[in-house]
Amino acid sequence: MIRILASGARATIQDPGRFAHLRDGIPTSGPMDPFAFGAANALVGNALAAAALEIVGLPFSFVCEDRRLVVATGRDVALRGRDDIAGWTAAFARPGETYTVIGGAGARFAYLAISGGITAPPVLGSRAAYLPAGIGRALRVGDALPLGATRVDPDRAGAALAPPDLGASVRTIPGPHLDRFGEDAVAAFFDAAFRVEAASDRMGTRLAGPPVTAKGGEILTSGIVAGAVQVPSGGAPIVLLADHQTTGGYPVIATVIAADLGRVAQRLPGEVLRFARVDRERALAALRADRELLAAIA
Amino acid sequence: MWEAERLGVAVPAYASVLLRFDPLALAPADAEREAMRLALSARAAPAGTPRLVEIPTTYDGPDLADTASRSGLSVPELVAAHAGREYRAFFLGFMPGFAYCGTLDQRIVAPRLERPRQRVPAGSVAIADAQTGIYPLDSPGGWRLIGRTEVRCFDPERDPPVLIRAGDRVRFLAR
Repeated sequence: MIRILASGARATIQDPGRFAHLRDGIPTSGPMDPFAFGAANALVGNALAAAALEIVGLPFSFVCEDRRLVVATGRDVALRGRDDIAGWTAAFARPGETYTVIGGAGARFAYLAISGGITAPPVLGSRAAYLPAGIGRALRVGDALPLGATRVDPDRAGAALAPPDLGASVRTIPGPHLDRFGEDAVAAFFDAAFRVEAASDRMGTRLAGPPVTAKGGEILTSGIVAGAVQVPSGGAPIVLLADHQTTGGYPVIATVIAADLGRVAQRLPGEVLRFARVDRERALAALRADRELLAAIA
Repeated sequence: MWEAERLGVAVPAYASVLLRFDPLALAPADAEREAMRLALSARAAPAGTPRLVEIPTTYDGPDLADTASRSGLSVPELVAAHAGREYRAFFLGFMPGFAYCGTLDQRIVAPRLERPRQRVPAGSVAIADAQTGIYPLDSPGGWRLIGRTEVRCFDPERDPPVLIRAGDRVRFLAR
């Protein structure tokens, strides 16, 4: 069990997501930065489907009841115990001792994984919190979360991954409605330096920049995926992320590849976001490389 | 069929089905071939009468009078037109438990509000274009609010969590 001593601005339990109820209109949720989340689980020896914490607004302090491996991942994060432990590096947590996930100026979505994983009861087949519908809740000081049984592997302490960089641009494949945009509009979209808006949230990253104009108006509502770059009639694109609606009615000009979703989510309001074009083979190769990296340390 | 063959999750909508799959487990070209094969072998929906869901509704929404007058109808006429027919739930989307139902009597078809509301209360019965639906949760929204119900369309503690599912028949009961 872990007990929370400082809750950050919003800490939630997440697992890879709730995929079985999309046709009921229930978003997948899950981590905003799937690679940082997966890396956190892998570094402490958890299954990639284990539940961990996503934290916005550090610091976040906790204490473990028994000996566990812990790790903080995400952008610009570290773990403070008796000594400071770099982010993306697994460490032993001694029972009863306080540890704090701390963040620098670039911190956005931080992940805390604990060996054994968080075993709070699943809702509709998943432990991923979806706050807009009251599935799960933001964690509070004093909360105690159950952990799965685990044998702490002494060789794992110190296991580390290099934090990924944010990339100059995020890679996309063509969107399903690319033909709704003229050649000039598409060229302008890929030339533009968009800025992340403060209104961005777990539903999506909202962008300001030169307006992107579609030829037609809205499209017939259809199912949609994380990474879709929707262009509402005002021309300001939105990159859909973990809590996005299951269906959408705006044209999608491009889809951010799965491997780069975290690079969108981790950008702070005011930071620049550019899009680049890749083909499907390169998108798959990037995903495969990430999975192999995590499999090698798991 | 996609789900029955364990290829991934399918998300139906008006005129499309989103088919999800793991591209490292199933190559995209193979997924496309499977999707085409299933589409070609698909038959019409199975026979039998779908479930009927009844929604007791108080017609006192903030957009009721305005929507009636722009349709050239009195309020009782609009209510009679909305409650007077059985709808089909086409699919769910927008938010948990939100069923897109239709189609409306064409006399009461009306566009979305020009300025969406920041907060629409849960249980609001609304129309937009030729569709009608019920807001399961408090949320922003641009549909025209004509009434309200106490029926809960979404409850994560319930199984299934949603009241109306795709394919159901839906009727609003004026009270």
